[in-house]
Amino acid sequence: MSALEVRELSKHFSIGGALRRSHVHAVEDVSFALRPGTITALVGESGSGKTTVARLLARLYDPSSGAVLFEGSDVSHVRRRRDVLHYRSQVQIIFQDPFGSLNPVKTIRHHVERPLRIHHIVPSAQVEERAHELLRTVGLVPPEEIAAKYPHELSGGQRQRVAIARALAVEPKIVLADEPTSMLDVSIRIGILNLMVKLKEERGIAFLYVTHDLASARYVADEILVMYAGQIVERGPVEQVLAEPLHPYTRLLLAAVPDPAKRDAERIGTRKGVASAAVDPPEGCRFVSRCPLAIDVCSHVTPPLVEARPAQAARCHVTAPAPSTR
Amino acid sequence: MTALAEEPAVRRTSRKALLELRQLAVEYGSGARGVRAVDGVDLEIREGEVVGLAGESGCGKTTVANAVLQILRPPARIVGGSVLYQGEDLVGKKPEELRRFRWRNVSMVFQSAMNALNPVMRVGDQFVDAMRAHERIDRRRALARAGELLELVGIDRRRVRAYPHELSGGMRQRVIIAMALSLNPDLVILDEPTTALDVVVQREILQQVEALRRDFGFAVLFITHDLSLLLEFADRIAIMYAGELVETAPAERLGTNPRHPYTQRLLQSFPPLSGPLERLSGIPGSPPDLSDPPSGCRFHPRCPHCGPERPELYGRQTTERPVLREVEPGHRVACHLVEEEEEVA
Amino acid sequence: MSQLDPTIDLPLAAPPRRVRGRIRVPGWVALLLRNRKSRAGLCMVLFMVLVALVAPLISVAHPNDFNLLAARQAPSWHHLFGTTDQGSDIFSQVVLGARRSLLLGAAAGILATGVAAILGITAAYSGGLVDEGVNFLTNVFLTIPPIPLLVVASGYLKSRGMVTMAVVLALVLWAFEARILRGQALSLKSRDFILAAKASGESTPRIVFGELMPNMISRIAAAFVLVFYIALLTDAGLEFLGLGDMTKTSWGVTLYWAQTNSTVLQGEWWPFFFPGAALAFTVLGLVLLLAGIDEVSNPRLRTERPERRRLLAALVGGRLVARAEASA
Ligand SMILES: Nc1ncnc2c1ncn2[C@@H]1O[C@H](COP(=O)(O)OP(=O)(O)OP(=O)(O)O)[C@@H](O)[C@H]1O
Ligand SMILES: Nc1ncnc2c1ncn2[C@@H]1O[C@H](COP(=O)(O)OP(=O)(O)O)[C@@H](O)[C@H]1O
Ligand code: SF4
Ligand code: SF4
Ligand SMILES: [Mg+2]
Ligand SMILES: [Mg+2]
Repeated sequence: MSALEVRELSKHFSIGGALRRSHVHAVEDVSFALRPGTITALVGESGSGKTTVARLLARLYDPSSGAVLFEGSDVSHVRRRRDVLHYRSQVQIIFQDPFGSLNPVKTIRHHVERPLRIHHIVPSAQVEERAHELLRTVGLVPPEEIAAKYPHELSGGQRQRVAIARALAVEPKIVLADEPTSMLDVSIRIGILNLMVKLKEERGIAFLYVTHDLASARYVADEILVMYAGQIVERGPVEQVLAEPLHPYTRLLLAAVPDPAKRDAERIGTRKGVASAAVDPPEGCRFVSRCPLAIDVCSHVTPPLVEARPAQAARCHVTAPAPSTR
Repeated sequence: MTALAEEPAVRRTSRKALLELRQLAVEYGSGARGVRAVDGVDLEIREGEVVGLAGESGCGKTTVANAVLQILRPPARIVGGSVLYQGEDLVGKKPEELRRFRWRNVSMVFQSAMNALNPVMRVGDQFVDAMRAHERIDRRRALARAGELLELVGIDRRRVRAYPHELSGGMRQRVIIAMALSLNPDLVILDEPTTALDVVVQREILQQVEALRRDFGFAVLFITHDLSLLLEFADRIAIMYAGELVETAPAERLGTNPRHPYTQRLLQSFPPLSGPLERLSGIPGSPPDLSDPPSGCRFHPRCPHCGPERPELYGRQTTERPVLREVEPGHRVACHLVEEEEEVA
Repeated sequence: MSQLDPTIDLPLAAPPRRVRGRIRVPGWVALLLRNRKSRAGLCMVLFMVLVALVAPLISVAHPNDFNLLAARQAPSWHHLFGTTDQGSDIFSQVVLGARRSLLLGAAAGILATGVAAILGITAAYSGGLVDEGVNFLTNVFLTIPPIPLLVVASGYLKSRGMVTMAVVLALVLWAFEARILRGQALSLKSRDFILAAKASGESTPRIVFGELMPNMISRIAAAFVLVFYIALLTDAGLEFLGLGDMTKTSWGVTLYWAQTNSTVLQGEWWPFFFPGAALAFTVLGLVLLLAGIDEVSNPRLRTERPERRRLLAALVGGRLVARAEASA
């Protein structure tokens, strides 16, 4: 059973004035499911729409179309405060920038205790005790001292742990982690990743782990979703996708990872382009201008997501042709 | 990168020294509250060579770069050692001499330089300003040159008319790199030039830097905390910990045979993209507070090989500061344990 | 003045700083005390406040007591600031006048800033119709020419007391402040910590007043000081023109009588000089305070900038210093 299911979710941002209004298709027709006790990685270049997906799921944006199914019902448009609060008590988000996601004029205590009070997780008398317990869970000791500090008194890694503690305060079933380690030092990253794995195993939390670091995705995740220009172009079990990628874009991403082993090796050739969402995109594969395998049909017909191997699907006319054309 | 295959690192590193740091020491503030951010760093950069400088944040990488350019601002000051540029000591030079020196010879791309472009000025005008401040060149020619430079880094020359916000982060970073090259420097210092970017853009930029380096022959001092990046792009790598240099070696050697426990742990902090997966531990603890660094070896509180179970070593580790010693030609390590192992061998 | 540029991005208000273990000084107060301009301004304003507080104790006579025998006396030990042509003691008028000036400035400041903060910030955070409504309202108020309105209002209103004046001044000035505060709130609203508060289930009023507002303290303080001294100057100006309540004690009134009786032409400078100096001193203090707040809250104005820019202009790629890493 899935903890959260996303069906054909799209988000278009309008840009420009009232007269010449056009739309950025930041997220387009995205479907996937998060399962309890698994980590699903969402990878892609910057501007490909990863953050937008995470924020849609956190109900920080309203989707343009599509549905988010939670506990059997669509929550993408609920407005009643009671329903929204219930959703927020189950689905939490961790932001990319630990330097921006904590209020600089509030203590750490405020950040961890507020969710406990809002959702009445424990009686007021126990709030402080629970807050300390949470800080201890994420490895911030001694909690009494940390709680009295202000964000600027902590290092980046410690701040990100506070952000995680805040997300865990409500005992969520689903955590959306938006590049939780990208602003942190390499030596600290592993600590955060290990914490995620531990929480998944001990509490059965379903994680969406947004990143552009494929190696860390492989390290923590069970499933992977590869995003390009607002669409999911490949999905499947992480080992399988990284070992035998179907989509040319996944191959490009893999080739771009710095790897001492490849020092002199040859690389996949690509033409330049950007992965960010297209403004009023035409029909056709969005990767076509950079794709070394492109054929005629690519620029006219948008490829569907086709399960070309067991459990592994891709959006590509060449490497994952739809059954009818096969 | 493919360039490395064409021009073996061995040949490049046999050239003559361009920049030498000798026992460089830099302090922020003074007295009891002084922080010695760089403490006795010896580093050599040869002509046309790519040297990587890696270490956790706060270990003093940017401070080293600023010292090379002599742009430390109070409370920072050089308290010891020398910065030799083609044999000439820059420490204590007059500001006017330095100004000319910087432009002719060394240029730097600052950390988060993407945000350093003036948001209300066209990119081209910023080039013209930078060039005209130091060279007699008329506006027309300067603009034409700006266009050429942009093309060098893979940006359409018509973009000289763009404002910074019309460019993506990666493009802005490339504009800055183009500016850094506008006066044919001998040495380019790149301080975390790609940390804010994703892997694909990062690779494109580094490929361009590498191609330009091949054409113009400048040396590069590449600062980053991403060791895996250096392993691929640098000829030689220097590892810093808490203000000290703990290991320097040719890139390939450092990747395959790191000797310092800190380097080993740093390398183990990267999960692999292929091969078997095992649980990594990162580096426990955090970098020391430089206003009160640990005695002896600064890494000892976090070092797995340091404990009372080896009393003879433990005493030295906690009291005596290890110095850089050559274990192989071109491979130097500062560690008591390595020293002992070498003696045994 | 950067006050006029609502788009400029401000760092957040500084978090509290620990001073000797327990006591916490709000961070921005500590910052203000470290800045030379605001420290001087703060001292000057506090001095005037002190004078106003102890005014009844140090004024030697009732300010409107007249004594024709002692009229038109130059400053002396007996009458520190001299006397008017009616023989009233100017020192007493000035110290008691400080009460009215400061109270009026503060009242107008609190009213205008309160309205501006509540409307501007709520509008920015809610967006949509609320924002458009508030925007319309501010634009209407911004198009009303302030000076004629003030002249007309103070001319026609029956009770030309302090409360009326404060309300009128606040009405004229709030829209300007609302626009500035809305601008800053807009830039803060998209910051991650606001989104994070929303994601953890915080209600809108709590986000606006509990999370957003504390980060705008320095900007709100700046708005308050600005209204304060504009109100003070305007009030004195109106009284000087004879549009105030001439039976009350205030700097403007003293100046008005000095002018009506053309004292300067007769070589008597003191009825002009002392109230004028008190006014100038207070306004200067407030202006310095405002400049200090601006400098502290807007790194682009910090005095070390030109020096650093000059240094970095010598370098390629160093056209401007990268933003402080903290704000990354
Ligand atoms: N509020 C917005 N208004 C207009 N366009 C937006 C908005 N937010 C995002 N976009 C656009 O949507 C696309 C996806 O943005 P998103 O921030 O999700 O990318 P990302 O993959 O998270 O990138 P990064 O790694 O840089 O954070 C981009 O093209 C972006 O410009
Ligand atoms: N202006 C300053 N005042 C005091 N200490 C500083 C200052 N700038 C840097 N430091 C200290 O110097 C050390 C090295 O800093 P830096 O060179 O910026 O590190 P890196 O570039 O490796 O992140 C750190 O301990 C840092 O705290
Ligand atoms: S559909 Fe065509 S253009 Fe798109 S990825 Fe496949 S081969 Fe390339
Ligand atoms: S000297 Fe000792 S403590 Fe320091 S790194 Fe080497 S083994 Fe570790
Ligand atoms: Mg993102
Ligand atoms: Mg640095």
